[in-house]
Amino acid sequence: MKKISLVAFLVVALATVFYACSKSDGGDDGPGTGQGFDKSAMLASYADNLIIPGYTALQQQLANLKTASDAFLAAPSEGTRATLKQAYTAAHLQYERVAAFQFGPAESALLDLFVNFSGGLDYNFNTSGELTGFSVDSNKIEQNITAGGYTFTNMVRSSFYSQGFPALNYLYFGPNAIDKLNADPVKRKQYINDVLARFKALVDKVAGDWPAYRAGFIANTKTDVGSPIGSMINQFAYQMDLLKGPRIGWPFGKQSNGIVFASKTEAYFAGISGALAVENITSLKKIYTNNGNGKGMSDYLVALGKQSLNTDVLAQFDLVIARLQAIPDPLSASLTGNAAAVEAAYKEIQKLLTLLKTDVPSATGVQITFMDNDGD
Amino acid sequence: MTATNTGRFTKPVSIAPLVTFRITFGLLMFVSLLRFWWRGWVTDVYVLPKFHFAYQGFEWVQPLGHTGMHALFFTVLAAALFIAAGFLYRWAAVVFFLGFTYIELIDVTTYLNHYYFISLVAFIMIWLPANRRYSVDVWLKPEKERTQLPAWCIQVLIFQISVVYVFAGLAKINSDWLLEAQPMRTWLPAKTHLPLVGRFMYEPWTAYLFSWFGAVYDLFIVFFLLNKRTRPYAYAVVLVFHIATAIFFPGIGMFPYVMMTASLLFFSADFHERLLGYLPGYSPKKRTGDKVYNYSGQQIFLAAFGIYVILQVIIPLRFLLYPGHLFWHEEGYRFSWRVMLMEKAGTAYFTVKDQAHREVYTVNNAEFLTPLQEKMMSTQPDLILKYAHYLASEYGKRGVNHPEVYGEIYVALNGQRSRLFVDTLVNLAAQPLGWGHYQWVLPYKNSTNQQ
Repeated sequence: MKKISLVAFLVVALATVFYACSKSDGGDDGPGTGQGFDKSAMLASYADNLIIPGYTALQQQLANLKTASDAFLAAPSEGTRATLKQAYTAAHLQYERVAAFQFGPAESALLDLFVNFSGGLDYNFNTSGELTGFSVDSNKIEQNITAGGYTFTNMVRSSFYSQGFPALNYLYFGPNAIDKLNADPVKRKQYINDVLARFKALVDKVAGDWPAYRAGFIANTKTDVGSPIGSMINQFAYQMDLLKGPRIGWPFGKQSNGIVFASKTEAYFAGISGALAVENITSLKKIYTNNGNGKGMSDYLVALGKQSLNTDVLAQFDLVIARLQAIPDPLSASLTGNAAAVEAAYKEIQKLLTLLKTDVPSATGVQITFMDNDGD
Repeated sequence: MTATNTGRFTKPVSIAPLVTFRITFGLLMFVSLLRFWWRGWVTDVYVLPKFHFAYQGFEWVQPLGHTGMHALFFTVLAAALFIAAGFLYRWAAVVFFLGFTYIELIDVTTYLNHYYFISLVAFIMIWLPANRRYSVDVWLKPEKERTQLPAWCIQVLIFQISVVYVFAGLAKINSDWLLEAQPMRTWLPAKTHLPLVGRFMYEPWTAYLFSWFGAVYDLFIVFFLLNKRTRPYAYAVVLVFHIATAIFFPGIGMFPYVMMTASLLFFSADFHERLLGYLPGYSPKKRTGDKVYNYSGQQIFLAAFGIYVILQVIIPLRFLLYPGHLFWHEEGYRFSWRVMLMEKAGTAYFTVKDQAHREVYTVNNAEFLTPLQEKMMSTQPDLILKYAHYLASEYGKRGVNHPEVYGEIYVALNGQRSRLFVDTLVNLAAQPLGWGHYQWVLPYKNSTNQQ
């Protein structure tokens, strides 16, 4: 008897499952209910509207930078440098718009390490020496120029800090940059052109790889480590960590009992650190909402029933942007001259970081480490 | 105790289930540890971190460096194979238990319930004559062969498996799990990529189905496995449940495979005889008649078995002695078979100040902890306290006078919004570690309406 009832139970259970399946099949083509959310469409939209165009725009800005750089190198003067600074600023601002896409092609090319190294997060800003944060290794750069031969592919800090934006920033806008160019034109100009060529090659590689990478990107709707959604959510937290750390907090002296490291602000010599920070966080909000097109992470949160969290995240984004805009550039001077404004921004950054590092990953079930985990 | 009272524990039964268990356990442990090594975790987890979260009372358990840790893993891997082969079995079991447990005791943040289960089983295996049939030991010394052993040798393992299931089931009887379908409601929408079932993952009823099925399964599966008539169906359900778990939650690691193989123990001796019969060189029983393994001083083993049973029931219930919400405070949470029970995440900011508050340092957790350690520390009070003490000693070395450590920690539990976890005004460096209730953890506030 028991066997029969068990078999009957299993048959009924299976029938119920099949009925549920077929019912869903017969319905509309969209996701099953109002709660449904098309993750693939979200990822496709990210790839087509923000990521691929972002790298294309970066390629364009780098081409403009090369043109302005050629003009400057042909006749180094304050006048030609003013034009160059516009092109440099435009390129660096464009980089901030793709900075949070450090996965897939950009991650494979190690783009962020080689063109805009932040120093990473796992060290002490106060005690770990010069080559931390958004530094420039001017000694290495000068050595390279003198030697006339160099390799840009070494996986060491001195290599990261002697190419990409840090190197250009120093060579264009550093102390006595124009005098040094006029004193030693050949090797110095060669170095600048080599840095630009290396930069272009890296960005071309990333931009060139994305169209082929796109198919796998939009097809993978998992949320584990290394998945597109997992990577994007982790990048929100990582970019906020960079903002709280190397971009603002650590130069401000948060790790060092108030001792300010003004020269370690991003693009220090160009004096545009504040503008870069604002662009970074503004872009992050734009990524979070997918430019408000209804296919963003924010919409995914709403579909998961997390409206109030989403509202708070958006409000906090706006607050951080406003607080950062209130800090006058150059940030390096404001760290001491406008400490209250920096402190106010720092506080709001930490609140946004908490939301993006705890509430959002928790709400979306995103993994942050590879390790086995049976607890939460 | 009289003979009749203990008879059901001491009566001779076939050794076959234990032989199957020995072989599968040894091989599974070998694969499990090899996977751990192959993924680079030996280095990531036991070599690279500057600081380890020791278990209270086991602070002397320290990592052994790059060479030492790999040598230890190699030794334990070899021991696992020796157990499977039944070669120098007693020594292999001792080495495996000590080595594996040593590894697990290095860092609390690597705690997994099935690692605890493995340690317990390995300890039990030391005392069982699992090598007395179909083993290298018997092949070398045929006179050692036994075909039967006292029933408690199998029963103790079945008890241990039952404890895992029943307490995992009891843990699920809480309002979040049953009434809110949390954390399934949070986790399942992340699984829409799965073929066939993916489309249902946004549906609340799916989360309720998973929650209730999981709770009923854990609570009752043991009884269906114990019953001879329902056993085959129950084991089919075991397979379906754990394979589903492995597909839905790959992050859980080896747990499903451990439970699937361990649950074979419920099957009869005849089943295991037939199963082992498929293996090369396994000679059917009754060749020379049954030879029973006799324990000298069996009463001592039975008494120890009794104490073990009591401990295994008390340990998961110790949480009852603590005030406050278990998931929030996690006092008495570990070693209690609470598997995949809650979604908890946190972010922890620490500030170090000197005694006079003239110096203020914001701590960069990434300087001291791996991402895994930071994630685990951020939500567990005892780990927060250990880390705060470590920070005090580190900043003391850097010349900070009587460092005080303050935490601003936000924790989100089961789909709710994050909120402040510990009292920001308490100097954590001055709070003692202990088994008592930590007063500096802020009380849990439920707000189910807040999303």
